[in-house]
Formats: sequence, structure tokens, C-alpha cells
Amino acid sequence: MVKKLQGETFLLSANELKSGKVVFFTLKGWSSSSVEAIKIKVDEINKYEEISAKDEKKCIIISPKFVELDEEGNIKTLRDKIRNSGITIKI
Amino acid sequence: MYKYSDTDKKIITSRVKQFENQVKRRLEGKLTEEEFKPLRLMNGLYLQLHAYMLRVAIPYGELSSKQLRKIAFIADKYDRGYGHFTTRQNIQFNWPKLLDVPEILRELSSVEMHAIQTSGNCIRNISSDHLAGLTLNEIEDPRPWCEIIRKWSTFHPEFSFLPRKFKIAVIGCTEDRAAMLVHDIGLRIVERKNQVGFEVFVGGGQGRTPIIAKRIRAFLPKKDILNYLEAILTTYNQEGRRDNIYKARIKILVKELGIEKFKSLVEENFSKLSNKELEIDDKNIEEIFGFFRLPPLKSNTNQIPFKKNQEYQNWIKQNVIPHKIQGYSIVQISLKAPKKPPGDATSNQMIALAEISEKFSFSEIRVTHEQNLVLPHVSNKELFNLWNRLKIENLATSNLGLITDTICCPGMDYCALATARSIPISQKISKHFDNYLQQKEIGDLKIKISGCINACGHHHVGNIGILGLDRKGQEFYQITLGGSAKEDATIGEIVGPSFSENNLIEAIEKILNTYKKHKRNKSEDFLTVFRRIGIKEFKKDLYDNFTKKV
Ligand code: HEM
Ligand code: SF4
Repeated sequence: MVKKLQGETFLLSANELKSGKVVFFTLKGWSSSSVEAIKIKVDEINKYEEISAKDEKKCIIISPKFVELDEEGNIKTLRDKIRNSGITIKI
Repeated sequence: MYKYSDTDKKIITSRVKQFENQVKRRLEGKLTEEEFKPLRLMNGLYLQLHAYMLRVAIPYGELSSKQLRKIAFIADKYDRGYGHFTTRQNIQFNWPKLLDVPEILRELSSVEMHAIQTSGNCIRNISSDHLAGLTLNEIEDPRPWCEIIRKWSTFHPEFSFLPRKFKIAVIGCTEDRAAMLVHDIGLRIVERKNQVGFEVFVGGGQGRTPIIAKRIRAFLPKKDILNYLEAILTTYNQEGRRDNIYKARIKILVKELGIEKFKSLVEENFSKLSNKELEIDDKNIEEIFGFFRLPPLKSNTNQIPFKKNQEYQNWIKQNVIPHKIQGYSIVQISLKAPKKPPGDATSNQMIALAEISEKFSFSEIRVTHEQNLVLPHVSNKELFNLWNRLKIENLATSNLGLITDTICCPGMDYCALATARSIPISQKISKHFDNYLQQKEIGDLKIKISGCINACGHHHVGNIGILGLDRKGQEFYQITLGGSAKEDATIGEIVGPSFSENNLIEAIEKILNTYKKHKRNKSEDFLTVFRRIGIKEFKKDLYDNFTKKV
């Protein structure tokens, strides 16, 4: 998971196995809101990788990934922004 | 319309049970995601940017009202009340829960639908001309042949793990409305010396290496079709590359070997196939054709009602074409209403359409590769009533074949592979060119938009193609010109450096101005002008004095 990581701070995200919905890792576990997601420093990555691997094994989540934050602590890429806040168009 | 045989029913029912069991084992942790992923993909279930996505096959684009109602029901009960019709005559649900998918598949099987052959490296859902069986210039209806090929290809033991996915399209006349020449195999029904057979094309495709298919056989007798397909697929299976995903499609093999060498390998395999079982006899053919007879339409002299209503008249002119039976029309329904994502339909629209098709079109609906729908058999005298009814459902947009009838993939709003959004671009275009007369003045024009180089939105073959790119975190759009997905299929040429979203409409305006400047008469369309004057003129007008907006 860490192979191509750039940046200093991240959120840990994934999809919930049963529903597929986007979730973020918080102090209270996985949540669909990114607001309370733990901000992870680059040197803590290993620890959170272990957490996500465990939860993958427990069939709670799939497809874990680290979401890069910018200097202000906001989600950096457009893809991750859309993934967090939903589609940008009206149905 | 094709009806499942008892064997079809058994296969589909047992497939649903099998998948239900696989999902159960996955949720219990008895299957890892690695083990489960190929199984879910075999049932059309992807994981996308926000959620799972289920792709359901609409074989050769044909739907009954009952099936459409079921799709609407699924969209309401298990999804978010809408579905997306794709460029390969499938429908995608964007938000299903894994837990619900077995039940969704069960619901689908109750109306003879499934999600098999919509993903993975197998022979995918066979696609066809949405006007199959409806026009006078057709040599033969391609749908029965799609069904014959479908029966042969579903669960073909040798072709379930091909080097890469494999797409086949079949058409029944010279006019290509199915983008047949950008398929791995394209089949066109032709007539030679009073014998009907197939002209066979191979090695077309889009994605990062767009290629127009090459002709491999000018004439193939009907009875040999499955043996010949078997020979092509066997050659591909043996020779196709499995070491590099970007070189694994048959188009690369054909390109690397050259069509003559590839052909000789195919012909050699073909001659070895003494497999009489695959030879189709007239009785078989007739039986399958029986499912595709026209409803009881009686030729008559009914005229299209004249009304002093400009909107209605525009719609008749733009969206309605004559049926081969006099007194009837084919009604094309645009899924490109202003502000709506191209190809999307809400469950309410689908329910309404199911009812409308029962009242006006013998319960039949077709899906087009250009992400629109068709009511195939409408009595002329009902057209005004139908238009009024469609209007209520926001399904009477008069823009078929015009600039706002864009093809568009889901792009970064949904797709995990995207490099940029595509739906907002199509919406900008439809907002900017909203006026019918303005569109009509521009004339026939196909804009096709993809959110990445995979080209699901067919940008390579758009008269104007738009490809979304990521330039250092910003969305940029590369424009290609002069592509065509029709019988004169052509890959578009890149016009030059890409544009930001804010500059894109101005760029399109400039391209259209060049076209207008060089147009010789009212009926000379964009593509004809482009082919006549070449890309240079467009380039010059586009990039000289371009005022960039930030
Ligand atoms: C889950 C979302 C999707 C994924 C992951 C996906 C993936 C891909 C990929 C990887 C390719 C390139 C294949 C290659 O070059 O070998 C491709 C091509 C294509 N896809 Fe999609 N696609 C998705 C959605 C769609 C949608 C929504 C449509 C229709 C609107 C579509 C229709 C096509 C078509 C027509 C092609 C080009 C034909 C070809 O050469 O295969 N796909 N897709
Ligand atoms: S073209 Fe790219 S962005 Fe669009 S659906 Fe295909 S893979 Fe996704």
C-alpha cells in the first residue's frame, strides 16, 4: 500500500466490505465521515497498515488506502476529494 | 424477443445460487478478497470510487417493458433510484451493497437478465445495431446472430480466461450504428451471389491504442460462423500476450503479426476444425430467428400528425425516423436532456417508459451504444400523444445526432481509474449549446468524452473527442478531431495542447467557427469539412490568439 506514497500527512481510508461505502479510520474505528479521521504522519504508516490489514482479514473493509493531505490538512487530490464528498453533479 | 430455454433458466438460477454462496463465504471470511474478486467480476460486480458497481447485460440492446420495470425496481430498492446506460448496451448500478447483490441477480433472473459477460477476460455481451430488424436497407436482422454467438460464448470453457476482454458486435447492413469497427471482432452481414453470409473484421479497439479493425474475410458462409469465431479466438488464446496488460488485446496481436500472417493462422485453425457440432443448420437458424419476428404491424397510410407546435416539430425532425413498415415510426429517446448526466435514467423515467412502450411500442425498448433509447414500433398517428407523454418525463429532448447528444463515460465522478471528470464537461456543452436552432445550424456532430485513456466514452472516434487528463493535479482536456465510429471509422487526430475546463467551451467554439468558415453549403457536415481541409486550419484558428481564462 505504501509504495507510491508522497506527502507528510494522511488519512486512512477504505471501503466497507458489506456495503462498499467509503470509510475513514477514526479513534472510534471506521466512520463514513472524514471529519474525525486520524491524521497520520508518514512515520506512523506501518502501524496503520497493520490495523487495516487486520480489519481486512476480519472482513470489515476492503481496498485500504492512505489519502494524502495538503499543508493545510485538507484532502489533496481531486479524486480523493470526490471520493470523500461524493459526486460533483446532480442526478 | 429471445426467450430463455429451460437450460438457460437452469444455468442462470444456479449461477445466482453459486454467487450467493460465494458472497456468504466472503462475508464469513472463508474467501479472501483476492480469491473473491475474480468471482465477483464474473458476475459484473466492480468496486468503484465510492461503492460497488454492478453492470448488467442488455444483450444486443433489447429490453422488454417487464425487464425495464424490473431494472427500475432494483434501482429503487437496492440503489439510488437511477441507472446508467453504457456505450456497450449495458446498464450500470452505481451504489449496490455487496450483501444485496445476490438478491438483485435473483430479481434479474426472474425477467431473464443477468450480469454475466459484463466483466473479466471473457467474450463480453455481444452488441448490435439498435435499429436491427427495423430498416429497409438491412440484409438480415443481426440479433439472431448475436444470440447464436451469445449461446456459444457464455461459459465457453476455453474462452473464459482469454489474455484480455473480448468484444464482438454484429450489424446487418452497410450503415454501422454499432461502432462495429472498433470491436475485437466486427461482423457485418453481407450478400454475395444471392447467398447471405458475413464480412469479418478483427483487431479493432479503443483504449490507449486505438485501432480500426481489419478485414480478415470478405465472405464467410453463415453455417461456418461459430467455427470461424472459434478459430479466431483459438489463435488469440494461443498467440495473444499475457505478460503485459497493455499489449494483451487482440488488436495488438493483429498489429504485431500483420493481418496476412494472422489470417493465415486463423485459416489454418479453421481448416482443422472439423467440429460439425458448431456448424449451424438452417433449422437452428430458423428457430432462433423465430424469436425476433416483428410484432403484428399492418402497413397503412397513416401520416405523422401535423401540429402547430415548434417543439413537437423539432422532435419529429430530429428524433423520429421511418419504420420499414409503412405507417409506423422508430422513436429515438434522448438520454441527454440538459443538465442530466448522459445515459442516466431515473427509476421514475424507466417505469414511465415501460408503461409508454406497452401503450405505444409493443412493450419493446432498445438501448443504443450512443447511450440513448429507442421505441421501435410506433404508429404514426400516435406520435403527438407519445411526444406529450415523453415530455412529462423529460424524455422528449430533440437533439439526436446533434452537438448536445454527447457520449460520455462516468469519469472521475464515479470511476476509480479516471484522470478527470467527464460528466460536468458534457453538461457544460449541453448548457452552452442549449438552443435547438443553434444546434441545428451546427448540424450533425458527435462529441465523445472519456475521463481517461481507457476511452470508455469513445473519444477516439468522436468527430470532436475530449479526453480528460491530470496535469499536476489539475483537470485538463485534450481535443481530437475527425474521428468516426461509423462505416467510415477513423481515429481522431490530436489538435494540440490540452485545455483547462474553463477554456474548453471557447476551444469548441473556435473549432466550430473554423468549420463554419469552410462549410461549402448548408448540408456539409463537420466531418466532411474536416476531411476536406485537414487539421492544420483548425489548429491555426484554435491556437493563434487564444485568450486563456484562468
Ligand atoms: C467500472 C467502471 C469501468 C472500468 C473499470 C472500465 C475499464 C475499462 C478499461 C480498463 C478499458 C480499456 C481496455 C483496453 O484498452 O484494453 C475500457 C474500455 C472500454 N470501456 Fe470501460 N470501464 C468502466 C466503465 C465503462 C463504462 C461506463 C462504459 C460505457 C459508457 C464502458 C465502455 C467501454 C468501452 C466502449 C471501451 C473501449 C472499447 C475497448 O477497446 O475495449 N466502460 N474500460
Ligand atoms: S474512460 Fe476511464 S474514466 Fe471513463 S469509465 Fe473508462 S476507465 Fe473510467
